[in-house]
Amino acid sequence: MASDRPVREAENRLERFNADRERLLAEVERRVVARRIAESRQGGDASLEYVLNDVAFCEIRRLEASHGKNGALGRWRDLSRRLMTMSDEDKQGELRALVRHYGQDVVGNFDPRVYRFATGVGPSLLGVLFNPTGSLREGARALRNVDARITADGEIDIARACAERGTIVVTPTHSSNMDSPAIGLGLLRAHLPPTTYGAGKNLFSNPFISFFMRNLGAYRVDRRLKFELYKDVLKEYSTVLLEHGYHSLFFPGGTRCRSNLVEKHLKLGLLGTTVTAYKNLVREGQPHKRIYIVPATINYRLVLEAETLIDDYLAETGKNRYIITDDEFSRIGRLLEFFRKILVHEGSVVVRFGRPYDPFGNEITDDGESLDRAGRVVDPASFVRGAEGEVTDDDQRDAEYTRALGRRLAEVYPRLTVFHATHLLARVLYDELARRAGTRDIYRLIRVAPATCAVPVGDAEAALVKLRARLAATPAWGAEHPLLAPQAAGAVIEDAVRGLGTYHTRPAVTRDADTLHVEDVKLLYYYQNRTAHIPVEGAA
Amino acid sequence: MTRRGDTIGIVGAGSFGTALGSVLARAGRRVVLWSRDPAVADAINRDRSCPRLPRAPLPEPLEATADPRRVAGEARFLVMAVRSTDVRDRARELGGFLDGSHIVVHAVGALAAPGNERVSEVMAQGLPTLKLGVLAGPSLPADLAEGQYSSMVVASAFDEVVGEARRLLNAPPTLRVYGSKDLAGVELASALSGAYTVALGLCDGLGIGAGPRVVLITRAVAEASRLGQAAGAEARTFAGLAGLGNLLARSSERSADYELGRRLADGVVTADAARTEGARAAIAGDALARKLRVRMPVLSGVAAVLAGRAEPREAAQLVGDNVATEE
Repeated sequence: MASDRPVREAENRLERFNADRERLLAEVERRVVARRIAESRQGGDASLEYVLNDVAFCEIRRLEASHGKNGALGRWRDLSRRLMTMSDEDKQGELRALVRHYGQDVVGNFDPRVYRFATGVGPSLLGVLFNPTGSLREGARALRNVDARITADGEIDIARACAERGTIVVTPTHSSNMDSPAIGLGLLRAHLPPTTYGAGKNLFSNPFISFFMRNLGAYRVDRRLKFELYKDVLKEYSTVLLEHGYHSLFFPGGTRCRSNLVEKHLKLGLLGTTVTAYKNLVREGQPHKRIYIVPATINYRLVLEAETLIDDYLAETGKNRYIITDDEFSRIGRLLEFFRKILVHEGSVVVRFGRPYDPFGNEITDDGESLDRAGRVVDPASFVRGAEGEVTDDDQRDAEYTRALGRRLAEVYPRLTVFHATHLLARVLYDELARRAGTRDIYRLIRVAPATCAVPVGDAEAALVKLRARLAATPAWGAEHPLLAPQAAGAVIEDAVRGLGTYHTRPAVTRDADTLHVEDVKLLYYYQNRTAHIPVEGAA
Repeated sequence: MTRRGDTIGIVGAGSFGTALGSVLARAGRRVVLWSRDPAVADAINRDRSCPRLPRAPLPEPLEATADPRRVAGEARFLVMAVRSTDVRDRARELGGFLDGSHIVVHAVGALAAPGNERVSEVMAQGLPTLKLGVLAGPSLPADLAEGQYSSMVVASAFDEVVGEARRLLNAPPTLRVYGSKDLAGVELASALSGAYTVALGLCDGLGIGAGPRVVLITRAVAEASRLGQAAGAEARTFAGLAGLGNLLARSSERSADYELGRRLADGVVTADAARTEGARAAIAGDALARKLRVRMPVLSGVAAVLAGRAEPREAAQLVGDNVATEE
């Protein structure tokens, strides 16, 4: 990267967020309103009447379905009635007010005191939470060991360099509502700056998590609001944040992965704002202000909501349940259980960072320069320029760039996957069940006789040795947890049985002398799914 | 001076590239043609003739160069019209002078060896731009050069690529370019139509009747559609310009693939069997079909003859015997 570029900006940029907030919101309002008014001149679906009616219609439908307050309903019914008689000025005023309203609803907050607490005192509190029956001394010990519980590794140095040279967008896999605090601590472990991120409004229902999220830069995404104007505000807010250099975090998978498969088909969501933000920077004559996409995987030994998620995945109705509000995350008892039983385990969460990309899916050099697929340096600004060097707007092109980026992320996630003992044993046992039943179809395996589910430990050990050897020979599939490396197969199985047999309400696997028993095929399937991209041994 | 956005760069001074450049230049477009061979570039600039299209006089405005930097600098829109065996090297060489703003469509009717990848996938490995597409259809070089009516389809995931291709290539009144988003489909349809052209040449050489000939064509379209769907393409693309259209045009006496089929039927020439794009596409397509586990009796039969594993009559009999239960 050229020497005239600003470096050493990796300090916590969110510290200045509160001072910036009104300016950012005003910018969002200005852009969205100007764009909507300009587009309204085309008439039809772009007319302000249509845009406002879309908001009113969606809000009325939502509030009626949720038996909302009459006052709120009345406001939207009133707007709907008045639309036909409103002047252009009135419509523009209403548009401005709505954009401001939704902007205020979305915007986050950053309280440096909470950040210091979360990164300083917080872990000791977490330490106590991990072991609520223990003493404060044990809590303090837990604090000292917190590094061992949530670890961060991978391409940390280059991610850090990117955070100094430009703006980073961390893009992790998403399998649990615990991902937000986990990635937050992962960033801390990696000495990466905190990021702002969009979190589903339903997450704010948990008072403990909500307190931290509200004050650590998270902004609220209300997935119930389906109208275009809201999406516009959300996208513009994210774009403006990126343009102003706020490091961000998006879960490109969209929602938690129900199956626990390594995510392949990404919804992308706000990831597209990276191209828009960079394009705007180029247009403003600041192409050197680079944006880097940092892939990451969050790898749990055990997943808090595994039972609900896999039930949801396997149920036919699961396809429609985008927001789950009644899972383990909403139950404080289960949450504490998670802290106490899961996070006390050394290395129970691994956040692995990958090598960053530019917003067009190009790899980068150690100095932050973009590289084309042949390994030559390429100017990223050229991707948004037209024939004569002018910056051009083309939403379809930008969406295609984002899809290309998504494909790169989906390609690299398997390589960044870290397998815990629970995943490896689940895979070995699932393979054995499938072999005996002659099918890998989960719906048929759920119904196999109990005798089929008993596997001699010796057989499991032999299969595990083979699986580990295949894994070691193929880094593109991921890697086993670094702490497992020195352990023999027997010890890995012990560790896995301890996890799979004690945390969930029904044990997934138990051990009886020299035999392993699969007690819950669905949970076994859930954990083995993390390895599903690894072909069955002997398969072409 | 013509704007860079209105200039068309053509990579390769083969028969199709030269014919396309010729018809576009005649229609008033600025065209810069890149040949690796300085002698060919000189012949075009000085003598207004191209060794690969000797019977077609070239129009004055058609410019040629042996310098890839020039074609990349003067044109944002480029047509890659080289042999499938040259795509990888050409893309890598040209890629050093392109950036993310360029648009590159290829007109290569084959899959790229050795991995049997689609040509756009190979180009993506060598070019910095993501804005790639394919140009295909029943446009024979001789027809283009003679100013016959021709139609092609351009396909890309990017609307901008399709839009620019149609804007720039639709200039001649005799050339019509349609748009599609099915990049994989158009590439596969175009490649496989070359392979089936060899099959049609074979059948005509063997003297089979009009009815069986039509059966061969319809079964070819059906099995190509199956392979396309397995590879993520749309089935209907194979019945369009790039598939059926291409096959019918190439099966005229003027295509090298068709001539190869005829010679094979006559029992002559096996040493150069793999030298036409259609022959290469047959072998590559057969390998792809096996990989994707798609049943393709016609293609397998052609590949077997080309590889010397079957005699033409034996292959035709096998294809005829291999009847699916449903159409």
